[in-house]
Amino acid sequence: MKTEHIEALLDYFVVKKEHHALRRPEEDPRALAARFAAEGLDDMRRSVERLRYVLEKETPAVFPFERLALVRTVRTVPELHTQQEEDALRKTHAFHEIGRVFNMCPDYALLMTDGFTKRSEALRAQLEKAQTSAEREVLQAMLDCLGIVSAFAERYRREAERVGNREAAALLARVPAEPPRTLLEALEFLRLLHYCLWCNGNYHNTLGRIDQFLYPYYRHDLDAGLLTRDGALEELEEFFIACNRDSDLYIGVQQGDNGQTIVLGGSNPDGSDAYNELSELCLIASRELCLIDPKVNLRVHKNTPLSVYKLATTLTAKGLGFPQYTNDEVVIPALRRWGYEEKDACNYSLAACWEILIPGYMDLVNWDSMNFLKAVQDAVERLPSCANYGDFAALVRENIEKQAAALMEETKNVYKEPSPFMSLLCPDCLEKMRDISQPGKYNNYGFHGDGLSSAADSMAAVKKYVFEEHVFSPETLLDMVHRNFAGYEREQNMLRYEAPKMGNDDDFVDSIAVWLLDTYADALEGKKNDRGGCFRAGTASAMYYIWHSQNAPASPDGRSAHEALACNYSPSIFARCEGPVSIIKSFSKPHLVRTANGGPLTIELSDTMFRSGDAIEKCAMFVKSFMDMGGHQMQLNAVNRERLLDAQKHPENYRNLIVRVWGWSGYFVELNEVYQNHIIKRAEMAL
Amino acid sequence: MSTGTVFDIKQLAVYDGPGIRTTVFLKGCPLRCMWCHNPEGLSYEPQLMVSVSSCRHCGRCTEACPHHGLRCDACGACVRACPLGLRRICGMRWEAEALAEKLLRDADYLRSQKGGVTFSGGEPTGQPEFLMELLDRLSSLHRAVETSAYCSEAVFSALLQRADYVMMDLKLMDPERHRHYTGVSNEPILENLERLKASGVPFRIRIPVIPGVNDSEENFAATADRLAGAKTLETVELLPYHVTAGAKYEMVGLRYSPEFDGTRAPNLDTEPFRARGIPCTHL
Repeated sequence: MKTEHIEALLDYFVVKKEHHALRRPEEDPRALAARFAAEGLDDMRRSVERLRYVLEKETPAVFPFERLALVRTVRTVPELHTQQEEDALRKTHAFHEIGRVFNMCPDYALLMTDGFTKRSEALRAQLEKAQTSAEREVLQAMLDCLGIVSAFAERYRREAERVGNREAAALLARVPAEPPRTLLEALEFLRLLHYCLWCNGNYHNTLGRIDQFLYPYYRHDLDAGLLTRDGALEELEEFFIACNRDSDLYIGVQQGDNGQTIVLGGSNPDGSDAYNELSELCLIASRELCLIDPKVNLRVHKNTPLSVYKLATTLTAKGLGFPQYTNDEVVIPALRRWGYEEKDACNYSLAACWEILIPGYMDLVNWDSMNFLKAVQDAVERLPSCANYGDFAALVRENIEKQAAALMEETKNVYKEPSPFMSLLCPDCLEKMRDISQPGKYNNYGFHGDGLSSAADSMAAVKKYVFEEHVFSPETLLDMVHRNFAGYEREQNMLRYEAPKMGNDDDFVDSIAVWLLDTYADALEGKKNDRGGCFRAGTASAMYYIWHSQNAPASPDGRSAHEALACNYSPSIFARCEGPVSIIKSFSKPHLVRTANGGPLTIELSDTMFRSGDAIEKCAMFVKSFMDMGGHQMQLNAVNRERLLDAQKHPENYRNLIVRVWGWSGYFVELNEVYQNHIIKRAEMAL
Repeated sequence: MSTGTVFDIKQLAVYDGPGIRTTVFLKGCPLRCMWCHNPEGLSYEPQLMVSVSSCRHCGRCTEACPHHGLRCDACGACVRACPLGLRRICGMRWEAEALAEKLLRDADYLRSQKGGVTFSGGEPTGQPEFLMELLDRLSSLHRAVETSAYCSEAVFSALLQRADYVMMDLKLMDPERHRHYTGVSNEPILENLERLKASGVPFRIRIPVIPGVNDSEENFAATADRLAGAKTLETVELLPYHVTAGAKYEMVGLRYSPEFDGTRAPNLDTEPFRARGIPCTHL
């Protein structure tokens, strides 16, 4: 049950969004860069000055009814470079999206356990030891960032005092100078750091394992009799609502794609279960609030009890697309294979969507995507030259290797803006006197893999109808796809609805999917990038299920030209699968430990499947069974097609309808139509 | 060696008995309940289903039809011809052995999830030989049957010898109203209920609650009286009528014309059952 306090916050910040009235107009995002250029500032200094500029421009606004203050009034976070400078940089460097440090899991606990005062002392001590000007510069930049954030927090404290919000003022009297003592102080500390990251230009700033690093404060409060479990739930809920205040200002492909994820549970290095009371409260808070942020992930392992899956499924039943499950039994060994230390591997968290990363370290986990379908389609173009299926598969392998080589080539000489404020949240940066944008302990790059099911189905169709049953000649099949099946409607219908499809526990096609993923992993295995890291293969689609499909011709699985691919690691969107059990059997066959960069099996279930406690328990057993079979990640969505269709017609009635998109949840009515339609299509195939 | 007609096989059936189950829907039913929401389960024969509402009337189906669209023997020629994939043949003939083999592929999974297989319909006892052979072939799995119990004593007794669990519908106690709303007498149903009660097989009773038809306190009380004291009765479930029940009629070329007001919320009072010591829930 939400308290009155929580209802009031929801009403103000989520329903009425009254705080939006405080926002200033947009600014020219390049104006500051012009000044920087005129002053001849280097990138490190610019990064500090940008943070100073934004935070000094912010007008503190404290509401009488809140405890966790901070709200954005400045819309624009300026660019570091003028257009001309950026163009020049792009000529000589590879850019990962817009060149910033993003999609990281900061190590918030690092700064929280010290507090700013102690951390400043440590930085000063390091400055004494610094040998080079570069070392001195980065340490000074970090120190300056602490000063800038402290000054900003102090202005907020005075404002809280001015408006008579003594509770908020008291929190800021301690935070961030001293380490927090209570859960509420810890939440305000976290809120401040997270808020400042966005102002610092970082985006897709995840929240990480909050149930782990906030737990000591929760325990303290309970043991000291300062807080009840319900009181802690209310504090968590206030924090969750705070994540929704400014999220429309955050960078993303679509509204809602903002990377505010939390990761709950997991196994400790000694094998014990890290899931705790706070993990449970986070699940309950998310279920009570029904908001798009934070997006909830649950780490599970072989000792995760069914009761945890069951509680998580009550959240799934809400239809928000939370939680997403990640299996330690696959992911930790995968990370060890890629060279991560055991303690880091066990501490893994998730990026904005599903990519695996280590708190406080920068891996570029979402560089680009292997387009499996294109690898097959390019081979289909040469089908008449193939004497048998083996020849055809060899062409596919060649294409996968070519694409993989091109992807790896793209990553050479990456430019990353320095990010001294983010560096404060990264364990090695202080000691090594290094900015997080520079190569560090881990420098691994991750690639997605989209269109797997369409690719496997297409290869299966070629194998069956061209080489085994000789139903079509290679030339006829090629003609069909060139003509986008015009004049071949019957054949298309047969290919779409009668041919073998991945998701039916049919080894004929599933073995091809296994082979495709192995071939992809082989193509990256043992290769090094120019920062010394490895390349990690994944099974996610990100937005490429739309982007890569838009110019793609028809394919032998009966897919029409331009028709969308499956989202993530899922059956093709028109495959009529036998059911969820067959799907998890198919999708647990691949050697996922080799392709664990991230990318969940995504299954849409009708929301009628969640109507009783007994039914919810069975859905929970179903999720657990996929994990027991060796699945790496799962995303279960409760959907109702009629509601979605009605929402498209009457968006005004569905402002709060939340749906899962690819690796995040957003408000359905705020999505572009192409994404809306894909979600409806998926709902039509719901099981 | 028997064959039968099946119109759907649903995995991860969560409402059809204990654990995670696969439910097999046998085609054909002797009842004609006015509220039936599975009209494709009525006829014993395979039949064409068309998503009429999305049809653009391009005429390719008629071109492909050997009878020029004048009659249909569910040959399926039009299915591939439809550019929108709106047509399918509902009802597939299976040899019991082949179907059992298919279901047994998931046997380990279903067992590990404390579940099994459920036979539903239509009315599964409508194809008795096929049903009994399937139940025999699947004896390594937990087997449930969902039935109206409208069948002969011989068939029902054979079923009770094989099933591990029974879910039985009880619609109306009043014989005349039963005949009016379902097209058949409830006499064999009530006789079979007595056999079920005496069999020792665990069972649950399901009541589709139709507003103004069977949701009176009187009907609930009469039903509860019949069930009181049944040792292996686990629970009674009240399944409220849903207004979307008529959705599929058009697809099989039937008209949905119930004589009751489906928009009215049905009475879901569980008290008459609980007062007699019978656990009762509703969705």
